[in-house]
Amino acid sequence: MSERISKNDLRQRAGEWIAAGKAVAGPVQVKPGTVLYAPLAAADALLLDGWIRPSNSIKEFIFPRHEALYGYRIDGAGITLDDLPAEIPEQIIVGAHPCDASALPILDKLFNWDSRDDFFNRRREATTVITIACTAHDEQCFCTSVGLSPAAERGSDALLVDSGDGNYEVRILSEKGAALFGAAVSGAAVDSIAPDGSALSPAPAAGAPERRFDPAAVAEFAKEHFEDPFWREHALACVGCGACAYTCPVCHCFDIVDEGNPRGGVRARNWDACQFALFTLHSSGHNPRPAQGARQRQRIYHKFFMYPEKFGETLCTGCGNCARNCPVGLGVLPLVSEICHAESV
Amino acid sequence: MQNPYKPDLMEIIGVRQHTADVKSVRLRFKDAERAKEFDFRVGQFGIFSAFGWGESTFNICSSSTWRDHIEFCFRKVGRVTDALWEAGEGDTLGFRGPYGNGYPMDEWRGKDLIFLGGGIAMPPIRCAIWYALENRADYGEITIVYGARTVGDLVYRDELEQWAGHPRVRVVQCVDPGGETPDWKGEIGFVPTVFERAQVAAGNAVALVIGPPIMIKNTIPVLERLGAKMSDVYTSLENRMKCGIGKCGRCNAGPAYVCKEGPVFTFENLRSMPMDY
Amino acid sequence: MSGTNQFEPKIVAFVCNWCTYLGADLAGTARLEYPANVRIIRLPCTGRIDTNLVVKAFEIGADAVLVSGCHPGDCHYSAGNYHARRRWMLFRELLDVVGFDTRRLHFTWISAAEGRKFQQTIEEITDKTRALGPYRPYEAQAAPPPSNGAAVQRRAPEPDFAGVKQELRGAARRLLEEGKVKVVIGYGASGPVFITRPEDSDRLEWNENSLANLTVYLKRPEVRALGAAAVVVKGCDERALVVLEQESQFQRENLQVIGVACGGLGQPKCDACDTHQPRFADLTIASAAAQDAAPGDGRYAELERFLEKPREERLAYWTAEFDRCLKCYACRQICPLCYCERCLADKNRPQAIDTSPHRKGNFAWHLSRAMHLAGRCAGCDECTRGCPAGIDLRLLNLALARAAETQFGYRAGMDPAAEEIVGAYSLQDKEDFIR
Repeated sequence: MSERISKNDLRQRAGEWIAAGKAVAGPVQVKPGTVLYAPLAAADALLLDGWIRPSNSIKEFIFPRHEALYGYRIDGAGITLDDLPAEIPEQIIVGAHPCDASALPILDKLFNWDSRDDFFNRRREATTVITIACTAHDEQCFCTSVGLSPAAERGSDALLVDSGDGNYEVRILSEKGAALFGAAVSGAAVDSIAPDGSALSPAPAAGAPERRFDPAAVAEFAKEHFEDPFWREHALACVGCGACAYTCPVCHCFDIVDEGNPRGGVRARNWDACQFALFTLHSSGHNPRPAQGARQRQRIYHKFFMYPEKFGETLCTGCGNCARNCPVGLGVLPLVSEICHAESV
Repeated sequence: MQNPYKPDLMEIIGVRQHTADVKSVRLRFKDAERAKEFDFRVGQFGIFSAFGWGESTFNICSSSTWRDHIEFCFRKVGRVTDALWEAGEGDTLGFRGPYGNGYPMDEWRGKDLIFLGGGIAMPPIRCAIWYALENRADYGEITIVYGARTVGDLVYRDELEQWAGHPRVRVVQCVDPGGETPDWKGEIGFVPTVFERAQVAAGNAVALVIGPPIMIKNTIPVLERLGAKMSDVYTSLENRMKCGIGKCGRCNAGPAYVCKEGPVFTFENLRSMPMDY
Repeated sequence: MSGTNQFEPKIVAFVCNWCTYLGADLAGTARLEYPANVRIIRLPCTGRIDTNLVVKAFEIGADAVLVSGCHPGDCHYSAGNYHARRRWMLFRELLDVVGFDTRRLHFTWISAAEGRKFQQTIEEITDKTRALGPYRPYEAQAAPPPSNGAAVQRRAPEPDFAGVKQELRGAARRLLEEGKVKVVIGYGASGPVFITRPEDSDRLEWNENSLANLTVYLKRPEVRALGAAAVVVKGCDERALVVLEQESQFQRENLQVIGVACGGLGQPKCDACDTHQPRFADLTIASAAAQDAAPGDGRYAELERFLEKPREERLAYWTAEFDRCLKCYACRQICPLCYCERCLADKNRPQAIDTSPHRKGNFAWHLSRAMHLAGRCAGCDECTRGCPAGIDLRLLNLALARAAETQFGYRAGMDPAAEEIVGAYSLQDKEDFIR
């Protein structure tokens, strides 16, 4: 049985979790015009409506932008490597969108492929994700094209569906969700992707974005048209920053750096992006992807062909952050729309 | 908690300078238990650390039959290799590995082996050569053609002499025209040309070809003319790497992560892979 | 010797080899004792002292920093200290806006003969810093987000788009048909477009989304490869073109400039804009709503209001801003004037600016970038619009633009024949902050 909770009660609960010393995060208007998922110092900062979605994603709470992997110390006795204190606070994310939550099971696959990345796993375990089903979308949203929907349940521990009367219907989807709300699990998260690629979860009455393309067709194009001038032409506007990758819920490429001084420091990983010119540069000076077209191709290829081949998941949740954040209006949907146009011509 | 990014600490037990900018370093595990349990397949690579400077990826160029050390060979080209260059015997480096697929030495049993290498590509071939020599009865005729731009760029020269002394091993060294010294006794010419001149029978052979793209491009037709199938010609690819374990998303050549599905590929594999390396 | 519990400041001194270092040496040989709190770093010349070194000193825990070199006229390399002086004039203003405590940054001219002056300077700085206490700028509390306030109302964008659009399309078609250019870089429906065939000219648009500074594409090799170009610029964008021309980044005769005199597109920069009218275009299309804006001195109003805040509040503000930085480098990539083939931040021998998106790395990046744009930034604010984290880069740009105007009477991008301020110097540059 699912519960109901009013918006005020939800906010109050968030306040209680904060007061209990838990790390709570959710959509916050950090300044006029900018909404980000951010730590909540107080429950009244939580933004429950008035915005399509934050400009960032929740991945930074589970896969931080900068994360120390271990420390090193150099002294007379030699070199010592220190495991850094395992300070993984219990986290609650209130007000995630389905396109953010569903990123987590997608990333699970990579971070546990052959070797276990427990940095990711521990934070994932320590995080409870309360998702609020979307009641509005804009022209950049395309979750329904990648097998999701505004009420998709993947990756969420609880899903709140707005009943339009100041209340949410609460679907408890996991033990973590049950523990947080003090209620029973109402049903395991429904895998939102049907074998034929269509969305399973019901869309809310407000309407879901129209399905714009078939990911399999994009995969086919990426595979068959690797050397096509299409990529060069359609990447001309791209200036080669990392805004798309960094605001994407599922992009996960990273760099490893040593930071410190001759006495010691840390080895850490930082987010990185395939759009940077130096991403694949060899020390010999050779660069397999010397032009932006090749780099844009890599993004689409990785998301729609390579990741599905390896892990059976599309590496995209249709959130639209890439296009909204791109300084020049590119992104997955604009590029994929061009692919569909090119294919139909 | 599993930390796949944390290296083993290694002690440098030997450093050898081969050319003006190439050194090889011999390491042993500081942890005796780890040393006992460690094993790898020739052709696999490791990620070596100069703490405070960074990590870099190199093939493990020693034979897996040697239990007392591992070795890697590098050219001094950047921040990390500058730091590795300064390291000496007794110093500590880091090692993560072994990563990658390695050479299918078991599948190569009973075959003749052809090794073709250019310049700094000798180290990833060296491990396979020594492995084969340590398991001599398993392999047929061994042909090694190794060349560099100049005599000063050749590495492991003493071992090339040693290999030539083994039964049924033929070693041909060459330098580019203009790269010879007055006392040079080897061939003069590019590896593909010199290899063709050598008239090696390739019908029952597997070939390992590693070198700059131009060398590989010109060697393939020669191998084909000599009767080799592209599924029997192997290479080891390089790509820029960071994690080495298929997570950081950097090293894919088309659909294959060079760190996981490679770095060893046959040319038949490569033909079906897009030019993304 | 001080008591064991008393705070002992750590002072880093960047000194030039030929004057101050020898002055310090002289203090030593003359047995003039000075506090051991100072760590001296010797460089060939003050002109070599990059401002990111000063920031680095604070990053690693310096409580005060001294920068010292030869007196004007005595530089071993003739003019290194003049260049340094001008750089410091701008840098101090930047640090002040960001909320760093400029009482902890000292500049002196100390010659090789001035051993005593070196001793006195170090004593003075040590005493002053001891009194000020330890300096922990990176531990400032980040300012909390404002309560959910409404977005600032902007002047409404101009309504007349259709006329300009038609003229743009016509101009593009003509240029391509006549073979004058191989590509027209203009605004499309959702972003920049690159028109290479006359029949595609109808893809050109002009509306409230025509915001990008298209001159950024002059630095992109993929666009340069297309051949001779025409670029559509608004008045604000054209200023970047002027700076690029001053810096020899393109040949004017190889570029067709299609100017659009616009009436504002609803951005913060539009409110105080006085450069609506492109001045150097080959063809200017005027929108019916184009007009000159409020008087020029409204330009820095936002900055002046910000400077009314006390220093700690300023630092708290910027701490919150930079904490959100992802190091996506959208600011750099979208800037026409960030055209270095390899940016300083991407070099690692040495790693002058930490690449990590942590607080220190983010401050280092933004302070460095601001300094590299000092006197060059054309004020198009594309960096601000492009930042996915909403960082107030516009305010940083204004800080250095105001420094350039008040100190040197200079505005970037106004006069192609003018000498740029960084890279030049004057014997009359004010040095009231240098002892």
